[in-house]
Amino acid sequence: MMGEWSSGEGLQQHMQSHGSVPRPVSNPPMEHRFMPYQNNGGTVFAVAGPTYAVAMADTRLSSGMRILSRNTTKCTQLTSKCVVLTGGMQAEMVELHKRMKILITQYEHAHRREPSVNAVAQLLSTRLYFKRFFPYYTFNVVVGLDEEGKGAVYGYDAIGSFERIPYVSQGTGAELVTSVLDNQIGKTNQTKQLEPLDKTDLIDLAKDVIAAAGERDIYTGDYAEVYVIDETGVNKSKVDLRKE
Amino acid sequence: MFATRSEYDRGVNTFSPEGRLFQVEYAIEAVKLGSTAVGIQTSEGVILAVERRLASPLVVPSSIEKIYELDYHIGCAMSGLIADARTLADHARTECANHFFTFNERMSTESCVHAISDLALDFSDVADRRDRKKLMSRPFGVSLLVAGVDDDGPSLWKTDPTGTYSKCTAAAIGSASESAQGTLQEQYNKSMTLKEAEDLAVTILKQVMEEKLTKSNAEIASVSMDTKRYHLYTPDELQTIIDRVFPQGISTEPGT
Repeated sequence: MMGEWSSGEGLQQHMQSHGSVPRPVSNPPMEHRFMPYQNNGGTVFAVAGPTYAVAMADTRLSSGMRILSRNTTKCTQLTSKCVVLTGGMQAEMVELHKRMKILITQYEHAHRREPSVNAVAQLLSTRLYFKRFFPYYTFNVVVGLDEEGKGAVYGYDAIGSFERIPYVSQGTGAELVTSVLDNQIGKTNQTKQLEPLDKTDLIDLAKDVIAAAGERDIYTGDYAEVYVIDETGVNKSKVDLRKE
Repeated sequence: MFATRSEYDRGVNTFSPEGRLFQVEYAIEAVKLGSTAVGIQTSEGVILAVERRLASPLVVPSSIEKIYELDYHIGCAMSGLIADARTLADHARTECANHFFTFNERMSTESCVHAISDLALDFSDVADRRDRKKLMSRPFGVSLLVAGVDDDGPSLWKTDPTGTYSKCTAAAIGSASESAQGTLQEQYNKSMTLKEAEDLAVTILKQVMEEKLTKSNAEIASVSMDTKRYHLYTPDELQTIIDRVFPQGISTEPGT
């Protein structure tokens, strides 16, 4: 009897204009809509160095004003020198990361070698665009060492548009992080040119940046996972963030 | 050779009691009727060479193609049923293009050969459950020499109708493959230059061809380390090699 997908107001007006009995107020028509997406918050970012790359992601999982978990990873190591980090919806991230791992295993079986970071980056793009009309609600960063041993960072939108860039940030704290990285790494429109950062300075900067994002963004906090990828491989550690 | 074939050489899906698949073996025989193709791998690149058998002087030589480009960095020479080879080459081209699309890198030569061999035994007289139309209802009567350059350097591969593939330093397929293979075993060495490989390939073609070798009745292609690209030689480039190898000219007597 009730129009399944129409709004209640329009339906009532329609019924009154035809002299029907108005619907009782206690049983208002409900709006039905398919809402498969939610943003679980969190911040991820990565910076490429000359022979290394640094990536970072907080571990808070939120839903609306609630914290669902203080210790949920947003990162997956895909190869011996490549990690993917994802902001957006956690369920989609889990699915996407699993799928990427399967595809990379299949690549290794088919071609008897590990895919390069460049290949992983293109693969992620094609997977995302494959779901162009029902996208993964994910905002990704691929980080690793390229075939020349240089740090490589790739940033994506939800449907697979991607670019190799010196640094990138995604998630609810992305704007906060980007401002600092533009200033400290990109050195855009500076009155004074700063010296380039070395590896330890860069890692320290990255830790400060995510801590700063945690101060202002309620969806960012608890812990940060730190990935340093260099010629020794993928090195993982964890730092504390605000936990309120 | 075929004393025990009895009834077992009809179906493509039936082993004989001795464990043989006769139709596949006959497909290998079909390759032995094909024109000769030679491949030589050096550290500088790979050379492919084939003879063009012209059925009549009225056939335009350039219309007969027996060396195909599979991707920018992979080429293949064929012997046997050329139409079957085209099906395999089309498949390999699709796989190479698809790999580039998905991974933004060129497919390795071995993976390309693997893709070709996957199709080699994908025949049956019935469609599968999803009613996918089978590309082929019999074995492919063709052998391929696949040459390519990838991260591991230049390589040469040989495929046959059974779907077996092997990596070779030098190889020959087709009607005169045995004598060509003999010459390769005598003359090939690992430190050859690409130019020496061109010369050896042309020498072998001249040996095995019934007709006089000219710039229009043979094809030669290279995949070189310098360019990392497949290149099909023009008739003039081929003539340059022929002139270099046979400065006195080639006599019209076959096999001299």
